[in-house]
Amino acid sequence: MRKIAVSSLFAILVTVILVFTSACGGGGGGDGGGGPEKTVSQVLRVNLAGEPATIDPNKASWAGEYTPVWQVFQGLLGFNQDLTLKAVVAREIPSVANGGISPDGKTYTFKLRPDATWSDGTKVTAKDFEYSIKRLLSPDLAAAYASFYFDIVGAEAYNGAGDKDETTKAQLKNSVGVKALDDLTLQITLAQPRPTFLQLMALWPTYPLREDIITQYGDRWTEPSHYIGNGPFILTDWVHQDHMTFKANPNYWGTKPKLTEIQMKMITDVNAEIAAYRNNELEISRVPTGTEKAIMADPGLSKEILRYPALITFALQFNVTKPPFDNVKVRRALVTAVDRVSFVDKVRNGVGEPALSWIPPGMPGYDPDLGKEYQFNPAKAKQLLAEAGYADVSKLPEIKFQYADSTGNRLIAQFLQGQLKDNLGINLTLDPMEPKAFTTLVNNENYDSAWLGWSADYPDPDNWLPELFGTGAGNNHTGYSNPQFDALAKQAKSELDNTKRLQIWAEAQKIVMADAPIAPVFYREQFVLVKPSVKGLKTTGMDGQIVGDLFLADVYLTE
Amino acid sequence: MAVVASTSQPHHTLWGDAFIRLRRNRLAIAGGIVILLIGLGAIFVPLISPYGYAKQDLDAILQGPSWGHPLGTDALGRDVLTRLFYGARISLAVGLFAQAIVLAIGLPVGAFSAWVGGRVDNIIMRLVDVMYAFPDILLIILLRAILGGTIYMMFLAIGLVAWVNVARLSRGQILSLKQQDFVTAARAMGASGHYITLRHLLPNSLGPIIVAVTFNVPRAIFAEAALSYIGIGINPPTPSWGNMIRDGYDVIFAAPYLMIFPAIAIGILMLAFTFLGDGLRDALDPRLRR
Amino acid sequence: MLKYIIKRILWIIPVLLAVAFITFSLMHLVPGGPWDRDKQLAPQVVENLNHKYGLDKPFVVQFKDFLWNTVHGNLGVSYSYQDRGVTNILLEGLPKTATLGIIAFILAILIGIPLGMVAALKQNSAVDYASVLFSTIFASIPGFVLGILLMIVFSVELHWLPTGGWGGIKQIIMPAFALAAMSAAYIARITRASMLEVMHQDYIRTARAKGLSERVILFRHALRNALIPVTTVAGPELAFLVSGSFIIENLFSIPGIGRLFVQGIFARDYGLVMGAILFYALAVALVNLIVDTLYAVVDPRIRYE
Repeated sequence: MRKIAVSSLFAILVTVILVFTSACGGGGGGDGGGGPEKTVSQVLRVNLAGEPATIDPNKASWAGEYTPVWQVFQGLLGFNQDLTLKAVVAREIPSVANGGISPDGKTYTFKLRPDATWSDGTKVTAKDFEYSIKRLLSPDLAAAYASFYFDIVGAEAYNGAGDKDETTKAQLKNSVGVKALDDLTLQITLAQPRPTFLQLMALWPTYPLREDIITQYGDRWTEPSHYIGNGPFILTDWVHQDHMTFKANPNYWGTKPKLTEIQMKMITDVNAEIAAYRNNELEISRVPTGTEKAIMADPGLSKEILRYPALITFALQFNVTKPPFDNVKVRRALVTAVDRVSFVDKVRNGVGEPALSWIPPGMPGYDPDLGKEYQFNPAKAKQLLAEAGYADVSKLPEIKFQYADSTGNRLIAQFLQGQLKDNLGINLTLDPMEPKAFTTLVNNENYDSAWLGWSADYPDPDNWLPELFGTGAGNNHTGYSNPQFDALAKQAKSELDNTKRLQIWAEAQKIVMADAPIAPVFYREQFVLVKPSVKGLKTTGMDGQIVGDLFLADVYLTE
Repeated sequence: MAVVASTSQPHHTLWGDAFIRLRRNRLAIAGGIVILLIGLGAIFVPLISPYGYAKQDLDAILQGPSWGHPLGTDALGRDVLTRLFYGARISLAVGLFAQAIVLAIGLPVGAFSAWVGGRVDNIIMRLVDVMYAFPDILLIILLRAILGGTIYMMFLAIGLVAWVNVARLSRGQILSLKQQDFVTAARAMGASGHYITLRHLLPNSLGPIIVAVTFNVPRAIFAEAALSYIGIGINPPTPSWGNMIRDGYDVIFAAPYLMIFPAIAIGILMLAFTFLGDGLRDALDPRLRR
Repeated sequence: MLKYIIKRILWIIPVLLAVAFITFSLMHLVPGGPWDRDKQLAPQVVENLNHKYGLDKPFVVQFKDFLWNTVHGNLGVSYSYQDRGVTNILLEGLPKTATLGIIAFILAILIGIPLGMVAALKQNSAVDYASVLFSTIFASIPGFVLGILLMIVFSVELHWLPTGGWGGIKQIIMPAFALAAMSAAYIARITRASMLEVMHQDYIRTARAKGLSERVILFRHALRNALIPVTTVAGPELAFLVSGSFIIENLFSIPGIGRLFVQGIFARDYGLVMGAILFYALAVALVNLIVDTLYAVVDPRIRYE
């Protein structure tokens, strides 16, 4: 009797659950492609690899956040595939010649195209940009990228007014140097000239926003029904933690995209992602680190590989305030003791490039001749150590190498440990940490040596050198300080002649490499799989979360 | 006189009986031998293997099984078989010591709570509830931040979050045994609480607890694998089966054997502990007269 | 009995409070905060963020605010998902994690108990050994290992099932199975062990001697008693399953809260973690209460004072 009761209870439960789950059906999965139709389905399925924290252009700061922004919004300026600037909503790129930039380099005037529209038909005006930039700088929004725009008159003061009363805040907001002179003219005044300012204006935090929508809906404005943009796609659906769907914007003022739909899934596990690709659920997929060789050997998959350099450098960073790294010879010794070429060729299957200097190829400022003295040379490394007083390596204090735990980092850490042991006899203690614990450690400069990866916010040495190597700079966690470097950096920041400016940065980089506060190891190369049906993919070193995501409007699918 | 002598029985103790019975259980002995072999292998591997566990051979990366490397090599060219045996050290240690902590805390807490009953029982069980409801992972992250990725951190981390189950189990056992006749009889004869608990209740309740513990040893090993998976495991290059599984998982599409071998190793150890545990349980159960 | 249940329910509140306080403290004790990142934010920006989210207030005030808001039904905001409230996020994710957990639990019971019973009844036979082997194999495979193996076989090689997501039976079957396997094996073992114990008890021999059929003995007497240790472990098993296996949810892209919770801890998302903790603690406390009650129902010898 009990048995009957128990088993029927189970049966009911099971039925209920099954009904529940099948009722939850619909949405998800998204096996596109359909059957054999006359025209090929133009639905591109890619992986965003996680749910973005926000898709508000002012607040977005991670790749997973600005990739969706890039599909739905466009700014005054943008990047070409070769990373030069192009005019998008602006009619032309401002320059001294066309009067867009004042001779003293402090006033920028942007003229907008008259035909740029929002996806609901309204015209894009200069007021939309003024509203957006001021909102970016507002202390209450606490946007991450606000500090990038502190060169604008009154920006820093306004952003620092978080604890002031409303009247003061309003006053400060008014004195920010961004004004819409009329519907089609935007004027920005800088406190001091900034040669890279145009590049900053091509970045997403300055994209235009609709004041009326944001005022009405507040934080909820990023929901698909209110997320109005001026770009080639519109966000039609967002199933949280699962996927986002973008459809072509029928009111787009520019060349309409050939794709009808983009689906961005949120698969966080790399193995699951490539499994989905192989199960024809995705058109583009990342590749698990370490499996590249097997993929290159696979007859089918090897034809679907797409490789290109990313603008990312990985290096070993030293805490130059802590012995033994306070001695430049020790640092140079370690830089010379690592066989980068073997690492890239053998461990990384040739994916990536060994790095001898900091700025990567593809970035202006890359110097292929720099750093040759650091080529792998164990004998030289030992000598350098001896010169530093450590001929007997047991005299060295314990050296820890700290890094955020991940597949790639584990490999590099153990590799470095092996190299230092084999080539110098040094025992490196490995200390993997969870990401936040690691960043805190580095930011508080409590480490010995740590792993450093740096990617470009915008393609200029301005973004690669002063922040990391300037005395006391925000991202300088090596404790490195060289007045010569600082002097050059100051010069370069205000040098309006581009050629001269890049020359100054080149000199600055040479100083850094000679002092070796960091030991570059390799430049990253993107290695992804793309289905042969995908055409027109344009990749750049500045890509966000998805390859070619700056130019998805140019993609189309064939059979 | 002769009649009396022939009717008296030889002196039996619970543990003496148990040992005799255990000896007769061939599967349990087999399990014990396997554990012993793995343990010996783990201890003597430096003498047997020509490779160190950290010795990288960049020209022999991700190779399948061969004569030089019977179980293949990993992503840095290290010998998998050697690492597997070194890893056994970690896994065995974690399994055993974490369980030791679990038993040391869980058994007494549960037994005490059940025997005393009433308000004390209630409060202790509510504390156990708090432990249960508690996000273990947070505690483990904190422990790791303080202690670093050492093996002692592993013992503590796993032991501290796992003892609650054994506490509940032992409490459940004692509760149900408490009501049994032999306990009432013992009390009637004037036995104290301590005496009853130690001499009667604990040994009788050990059965399911032993089974739970033998299952928990591999569970501790898995916990270590899961922690290695999410990045808070034991520091490399020390191999543990957990981080070998993680490393294998990362390249499963290129070299599936890398993940499968440590998984099999865990399986074998698990079988061994299972048979041994079963044998122990059967041996210790006074009611199973086989 | 009823009085006992009510007392237990009342006890849940201080338990939740204790858990909340400990969690809150731990979250602020672990190194690193929500705004730490490799490319460090400008100090001004960090100040603005801390001010916006009230992180510049003293610890006690923050905790008090949290309690106050919670009591009013507002679980606060998440830093990882900034445009939705924590309550919203949890309400969306919870049913999915719970469904997955419950299905896995049912699978575990449906497989584990019969297997254990059969093994006990036919002790030392081929079936017994086979069941031991099965339960060992599945108990020795960590969830993510089994999960990826299933995915490789059924999605990549056979193309029978999608690799994940949420939407129907096809998507839930692999993760549920991967989640359930270890529990099923464990439950099978426990069932076998306690069945064996029970089968050899005197009262069973008496029942047989009285001439009762095997079937009646089995279901009326043996099973009920054997299930006692099973219910003890089933509770925590269920709690564990329902709490959202982070690893399985991560692998199969299940939009549940298991994934969110662990990610939230790594990201120092105080709001999300605190909200999730409360849900989780409440669920665990309730499950334990149900189990303890069942315990008393199943075993009439147990009295609660």
